[in-house]
Amino acid sequence: MVSITIKNLTKKYGNTVAVKDLNLQIEDKEFFVFLGPSGCGKTTTLFAIAGLIKIDAGEIWIGDELVTSGEQGIHKPPQEREISMVFQDYAIYPHMTVFDNIAFPLQIRKTDKNEIQESVTKTAELLGIYQLLQRKPRQLSGGQRQRVALGRAIVRRPKVFLMDEPLANLDAKLRVQTRTELKKLQLELGVTTVYVTHDQVEAMTMADRIMVQRDGIAEQIGTPDELYNHPSNLFVAGFIGSPEMNFIDCTLTEETNGLCLDAKEFRISLPAKMSSELKGHIGEEVIMGIRPEDLHESKSAVSATQENAVRMTLDLIEPVGPYLLLHLRKGRVSLVATVKDTRSKAGQEVVIEMDLSKMHMFDKRTTEALI
Amino acid sequence: MFLLPIWTDITTSFKSIHDIIYTIPVQPPLSPTIEPLITAFNIMKRPLVNSLTFTVAATILSCLLGSINGYALTKIRFPGSNMVFLLFSIGIFLPYQAVLVPLVLTMSRLGLYNTLAGLILTHTTYGITITTLLFRNFYGLIPDSLIMAAKTDGAGTWTIYRRIILPLSLLPFVVAAVLQFTSIWNDFLFGVTLARGSEAMPASVALANLKGTTEFNWNVQMAGALWYALPVLIIYLVLGKYLIRGYMAGAIKG
Repeated sequence: MVSITIKNLTKKYGNTVAVKDLNLQIEDKEFFVFLGPSGCGKTTTLFAIAGLIKIDAGEIWIGDELVTSGEQGIHKPPQEREISMVFQDYAIYPHMTVFDNIAFPLQIRKTDKNEIQESVTKTAELLGIYQLLQRKPRQLSGGQRQRVALGRAIVRRPKVFLMDEPLANLDAKLRVQTRTELKKLQLELGVTTVYVTHDQVEAMTMADRIMVQRDGIAEQIGTPDELYNHPSNLFVAGFIGSPEMNFIDCTLTEETNGLCLDAKEFRISLPAKMSSELKGHIGEEVIMGIRPEDLHESKSAVSATQENAVRMTLDLIEPVGPYLLLHLRKGRVSLVATVKDTRSKAGQEVVIEMDLSKMHMFDKRTTEALI
Repeated sequence: MFLLPIWTDITTSFKSIHDIIYTIPVQPPLSPTIEPLITAFNIMKRPLVNSLTFTVAATILSCLLGSINGYALTKIRFPGSNMVFLLFSIGIFLPYQAVLVPLVLTMSRLGLYNTLAGLILTHTTYGITITTLLFRNFYGLIPDSLIMAAKTDGAGTWTIYRRIILPLSLLPFVVAAVLQFTSIWNDFLFGVTLARGSEAMPASVALANLKGTTEFNWNVQMAGALWYALPVLIIYLVLGKYLIRGYMAGAIKG
């Protein structure tokens, strides 16, 4: 089918730059997610691909067709791009029945009546809304409306699906369920999909690749695994993962037995293999990052002598269900750890071991990852 | 109390000249007669048809144009659309008297003076200011995502208007139509200046002419007023419930 190529895309609203010099290649059949906080430019990028907005500079290619070019003044209207879109508020036509809603894209293209009947029926069956075809949208629940919107998007088999937070208006349980179905559907249809969300769990679970955006800039593009385990900067590290990654302000110092992180309250000696990569940063302020699941409670409370262990006060235990959240403190440093089980009580001192092989480190000034 | 004028109108319409002199207005006629109604109808027949023709035509045209304008101003947003809307809004405040002289001149140059077409054009032009405002406000409530969805579904600007916007516009159409019908029907000034002859004379002007220069046939005049009020009355009775829903539409999201 098709890939999408974005070259040097820039879009401004007045003096605000919504998207800045974006370069991106979305592969054929890929489920690609734009992830970021609100106002980061992800929806703007999506609308630019759809042709719903005009861009200031750059090019967008759908397959081998140039659909938008700021420089050459090319702007194909949305109806001439072979895309279909699902909106956050579903945007189903309130005055039409479910059947007419799904049939609309086909009717516009003057498809043969029997063929419309057949396609709509097939689509409705696929989505489990066949029995609703004669209803009006106001008689449907949120989840059902969402399916109608999906049905309308897939009925004409477009080259590209564009989805703008399609699950955001569903309640939590339905969202998880629909997430799975949507992903299955995409795999089944094999259509290149661009999906916008601010929900990192949605992004991680559904995406083949994710672009994390902030203030119109692509912070990192990669697979969910890459973003989670190798965030390229502080923002991505903090944005991906729940509970959030722990950050500790440190100074990188050199000791007799190798490099050492000095967090004032405690010191951590770094494994030898990290030293070579960090040699150039000795004396600099850095931010150490470690995910809650990479902190473990030491079984023997006395062994705080290890290089990677810190004695901390346990402030609070939050049972989440599958795991416990330990809120830990030592001076001005607060950490959150996820553990399976603990025998300690709130208020006690515990020894926390850090899995240093999973540690991240960021330059405090540039916020870029150092390792 | 507020029904008293209507009551008086009805009683007087059924009185003979003799009854008018010997009864006070609110009293029912001594010997009811439909003579005044027939006399008034015969005089008013042509003007009523005239009025009905240009009122219906101008109402439909101004509503349709207002709707298209409202669509363009809210959902297409061309450069300068705010300026255009501002100019439309100013049009609402333009007093009729201020445009009379240029209007008469324009109409006579166009050869539309004293014609129904002239009245239709005038009332449509004057009406689109208010209908544009009305439709623009209503269309502001239709989510933009609906339009974007239609675009990505493959619909062009005109198809979106026809298939999405128009079917959703029943309420503003009723409100605008009642508003326009009433104000065009009741208009006297444009009628009296633009259509003096009988070919295009509106009912409002004919009603005023019922009052002779020397004699006062109260019963015929009252009967004429009754005929004149009838279409507006029917409109309100038929469309009343939509009108109330239309007024409420802004408050409660559909």
